[in-house]
Amino acid sequence: MVKLAAKCIVAGDPAVGKSALVQMFCNDGAHFQKNYTLTTGVELLVKTVPVPETSDSVELFIFDSAGMELFSEMLDKLWEQPNAACIVYDVTNEQSFNNCAKWLEKLRTQTSGVHIPGVLVGNKTDLIDRRVVEQKQAQEWAETSGLEYCEISVKEMENYEVPFHILANSFHQLYKEKVEIFHSLVNWKTGANQATDIKDL
Amino acid sequence: MRSTNFCLSTEGADVILATSSDEKYPPENIIDGQSETFWTTTGMFPQEFVICFHKCVIISKLTIQCYLVQTLRIEKSMSKDPVDFEHCIEKDLEYKEGELQTEEFSFPEFQATHLRFIILSAFDTFVSVHRVIAEGIAQDI
Ligand SMILES: Nc1nc2c(ncn2[C@@H]2O[C@H](COP(=O)(O)OP(=O)(O)OP(=O)(O)O)[C@@H](O)[C@H]2O)c(=O)[nH]1
Ligand SMILES: [Mg+2]
Repeated sequence: MVKLAAKCIVAGDPAVGKSALVQMFCNDGAHFQKNYTLTTGVELLVKTVPVPETSDSVELFIFDSAGMELFSEMLDKLWEQPNAACIVYDVTNEQSFNNCAKWLEKLRTQTSGVHIPGVLVGNKTDLIDRRVVEQKQAQEWAETSGLEYCEISVKEMENYEVPFHILANSFHQLYKEKVEIFHSLVNWKTGANQATDIKDL
Repeated sequence: MRSTNFCLSTEGADVILATSSDEKYPPENIIDGQSETFWTTTGMFPQEFVICFHKCVIISKLTIQCYLVQTLRIEKSMSKDPVDFEHCIEKDLEYKEGELQTEEFSFPEFQATHLRFIILSAFDTFVSVHRVIAEGIAQDI
């Protein structure tokens, strides 16, 4: 049994529903924030997500960040060394989708080449008539960018847990892969490989 | 005089604090005298562990075997309890993919009852620490 801990950045344009999503997830669907209050810095929320079919879990330290440029420029310090990323856009707002590339770029400058799990989230699917970003288009971009993809409606409480479950599972998978590598560093049978120059004390 | 490795559970050492704990890869693996077994970090950095000797020892050389560790700081304490840590060394380690990092630190002899290892940053999301060796001579408290 292990409890992993991951710093998870939630990024995206203003008013796409980042705070609504994070709040809904952290209070287990108890409340949907109808009125828009823009986030001016970063709000940190913590939630533990169990990993299916294991006794393991991932404690997500969710950093809900401001979408507004003015504030997001101050985020660099708070975004340091992220472990997972959730990039949100509004399916009724083309611009918010196009800007996902910019948000991804901004995140990548923080990871210095380390691969981190990421998910692209299309929100507000309840606004069917106003939808402009098609699923196929978004899914394709996510794939070429190495991101998982999901569509949600925080308002209708649809799939709002999915992005975080995807990230927790990917993070857990990443841990298992690393542990395999740690095992392979020293060969059990010969005692040690690179370690042979250490004299036995 | 024969020099000893004090970082061994068989020599009475304990890991009294570790910021990560996967029960499959516990911090005790650092002091079991084997390079094959290891402790894993399971979350954000910094991460640290503290080794207690339960006696005062004189150390002249430290060796750590680990993987993916970038910036490492080592501190020592001479108190009976794990307090009053003093700076020993801080170093950016090199890393080659697939190769265990073996880092040796030589010092003028110093006394310690505890050693604290702080991993300030890493080359990847998780790191492993396989073994710590502290060579020196034992002394009564
Ligand atoms: N119709 C609909 N509205 C939503 C949905 N999710 C959020 N909203 C609304 O969108 C508005 C903006 O939501 P926020 O969560 O505050 O947006 P944000 O992304 O955090 O914005 P910043 O903090 O400025 O970056 C609010 O009025 C929400 O009620 C949804 O699924 N459907
Ligand atoms: Mg917000």
